[in-house]
Amino acid sequence: MSADSNVAGVGVNGAKENHLINFIKDNATLIALIVLVVGLSFADDAFFTARNLSNLSRQVTIIGIIAVGMTMVILIAGIDLSVGSVVGLSAVVCTLMMQWGVPTILAVPATLLIVGVGIGLWNGFWIAKFNIPPFIITLGMLTIARGLALTLTNGSSVPVTSNVFPLIGGAYIPPMLSSIVLIACAALAVYSIFRDVQQSKAHGVEVNMQELLVNGAVMIGGFALAFHVFTSYKGIPVPVAIFAVIAFAGIYTLNSTRFGRRLYALGGNEDAARLSGINVVRTKMIVYTVISVLSALAGIILASRLNGASPNLGTMFELDAIAAVVIGGTSLAGGSGKVSGTIIGALLIGVLNNGMSLLGVVTFYQLIIKGLIIILAVWFDVMQKK
Amino acid sequence: MSEVVLKMQGIIKDFPGVRALNNVNFEARSGELLALMGENGAGKSTLMKVLSGVWPYPTYEGDIFLRGEKVRFANTKEAEAAGIGIIYQELNLIPGLSVAENIFLDRQFTDAKGRINWNQTFAETQKLLTELGINDIGPTDLVQNITVGKQQMVEIAKALSLKAEILVLDEPTSALTDKEVKDLFRIIRKLKADGVCMCYISHKMEEIEQIADRIAVLRDGQTIGEVTPIADITLDQIIARMVGRDIKDMFPKVDFTPGEVTLEVDNLSVTNPDLPGSYLVKNASFVARKGEILGISGLMGAGRTELVGGVFGAYPDQTTGDVKLNGKELDIKSPKDAIDAGIALLTEDRKALGLFLDKSISFNTTISSLETISSKVLGIINTQQERKVVKEYVDQLGVKTPSIDTVIGTLSGGNQQKVILGKWLNSRPDVFILDEPTRGIDIGAKVEIYKLLNELVQQGVTVIMISSELPEVLGMCDRILVMCEGEIVSNFERDDAKKEAIMAYATGSA
Repeated sequence: MSADSNVAGVGVNGAKENHLINFIKDNATLIALIVLVVGLSFADDAFFTARNLSNLSRQVTIIGIIAVGMTMVILIAGIDLSVGSVVGLSAVVCTLMMQWGVPTILAVPATLLIVGVGIGLWNGFWIAKFNIPPFIITLGMLTIARGLALTLTNGSSVPVTSNVFPLIGGAYIPPMLSSIVLIACAALAVYSIFRDVQQSKAHGVEVNMQELLVNGAVMIGGFALAFHVFTSYKGIPVPVAIFAVIAFAGIYTLNSTRFGRRLYALGGNEDAARLSGINVVRTKMIVYTVISVLSALAGIILASRLNGASPNLGTMFELDAIAAVVIGGTSLAGGSGKVSGTIIGALLIGVLNNGMSLLGVVTFYQLIIKGLIIILAVWFDVMQKK
Repeated sequence: MSEVVLKMQGIIKDFPGVRALNNVNFEARSGELLALMGENGAGKSTLMKVLSGVWPYPTYEGDIFLRGEKVRFANTKEAEAAGIGIIYQELNLIPGLSVAENIFLDRQFTDAKGRINWNQTFAETQKLLTELGINDIGPTDLVQNITVGKQQMVEIAKALSLKAEILVLDEPTSALTDKEVKDLFRIIRKLKADGVCMCYISHKMEEIEQIADRIAVLRDGQTIGEVTPIADITLDQIIARMVGRDIKDMFPKVDFTPGEVTLEVDNLSVTNPDLPGSYLVKNASFVARKGEILGISGLMGAGRTELVGGVFGAYPDQTTGDVKLNGKELDIKSPKDAIDAGIALLTEDRKALGLFLDKSISFNTTISSLETISSKVLGIINTQQERKVVKEYVDQLGVKTPSIDTVIGTLSGGNQQKVILGKWLNSRPDVFILDEPTRGIDIGAKVEIYKLLNELVQQGVTVIMISSELPEVLGMCDRILVMCEGEIVSNFERDDAKKEAIMAYATGSA
């Protein structure tokens, strides 16, 4: 600790400026998101309404769910380009199965298994076992899965016949129950932070007050906003609840489990990871399976919300998912990154899409702006490392 | 007495919170080799960066004189133009380009239209190589196809083509074979005769004795004592200057009676993936006992690393042979199997194979034994327990660090090595294999590692140590295997082991 305080002691003014700059650097995406939200609220009255924000949150979930998996893939210095096609294939397979008379409750897990686990194991097998670049394997799967979806449907859309299925993407948890859930989650979050601080203090570990304050403020702000939006408009959308669970599981896995540690190790130095006793092949196969299952799930939610599946669903989703991860600060070189960053990245893209549509920006321009923002985010990341 | 070409006076260099150089004074003469010695972190590399303009004036204080004239470099180009050439530890060549292209990079001979005159470029390169007496590589050879030793020669040739009068060599022999070292020394002697002034950074005492004329010692950013002719100073005095205290016993070997056989390796072979039909290790059989330190000696490339790698399951597809531990046959298909069986391997190449450089000490310590600090089913890590375990190792091994969350890449080599030792101790091995455990580590840390090895054998661990430094092998090992060209050619008991005999077997001349 002594060396730290020495460093901080060099010139009080300089230190203060550095704190501010570091703070902005550490939370650049978050600050950008907040600025964007505030700006849009002033620019268009329709933006900061419970209805719009509720819809926005539901739109974000699809890319968000895939991006949680993509964070893990990129963390181990991999890439998965096939996610968009997996979305399309799983939407088609699930709706077709229901058309053939399979009940929703069976069709959904069967799709996750056949499309999600199946494609994931296939990708993972080639990548892990034979060391073929993931870019190539998943690029191949991008066209294979899309081709399968087109073949199965003969190129036309599949309508949904079930009454239950549309609930997955379209239903809401009633406002009363939503508020109870939100309050319970908030209480749990506050308790866990409190307990962490207590334990750290008990073990003489210095608590990073700045990080604590930022996290606390973001959490309180987030919960307050969610509470306002979801209790005044219909309640929590089911897909948002699903996304929340997956996001939490992702954060927890990377932060606090053996598996998460191994991903950081694998991405940081694969040879050292292997010589440290990490089963590289198995770990990679699990990661590629996880992202495929999550993509299949996203496909099911999308088909449910749209009440039908077109074989072209999910086209270009891989780019949005990769963009969310990269904007969220995960390094494409592997070894460093966070799911929380990815969530902010996904929100940023969602808000941007939503805001630009509200303001009447032509779709063509939207694409250009989105591309520029991805470049900006990566540039910022590179500059920060220098 | 020859002319003083380089003089550095009162050099002070601060980094945020740390004073890296604190009043450094020394001078070097033409035609001499000045050895710059000091422990890791003593400031040698920083000093050379000041000299070469990497840290331009006024980011440092003090004066640099070249032939009595004060110089202040704004960048490395200016230093280069003034005749200062630096050969860094990590070579700066472009692997996909030829020797000639590397030497004359960005300075190729061109005609009036700017087209490269390759004939002249190649001819000039050949002239340089001939001058240096390098006859086994040509101007058109690709750098990626020549050995590290030859690459270093190319760097030297490049520096000379820039008319360098002062040549700085930063640990030039750390990746060279014995023969390459001999070649390098031949060239150094020739350069001396030509009047080039060389500053030579190294940890290796033997080398210094062989080729240095005078020696300057750095400790904690300060020059300790005067620049001293090598003839007027003893090894012990050099070490005392470097560590600031007398090291009474460089090799604190404790006598210990070896117990029963633990590890049995029978007919282990490792094939060479680059050359089908040939072997990196051929029919190697040996045993190791409880409570002994078994040394494996040999030249670089003799197959020592591959032998222990084969035992550890590092290349399962290339390895054949039987490994038994405590009488039980093992089926090792991966490092994980080896670790689960109770074998640990500290790898030679710390950066590439041992460390997660941008991760914390804590992360690096527990990565190979996460099972011990996490729940069985979901693998949830108990952070408090992890902190406790890591703290214990950091304290026990004396790792110098502000906190266990410090990024390991920021520590010195010796401290990094201690963390890796902690990582493997935490896996509680029965057999602990260490491949060059003290390479690139300062003397103080070396002795600490030796003491730790003693403690381990006393606790009944079987220790196997590969080392290229003969004094270390002779000083610390109970038994010594010698390898030559992939085979175990000899087995010495401690009392029978002599430097000359080991070298004879290692070079295949016994």
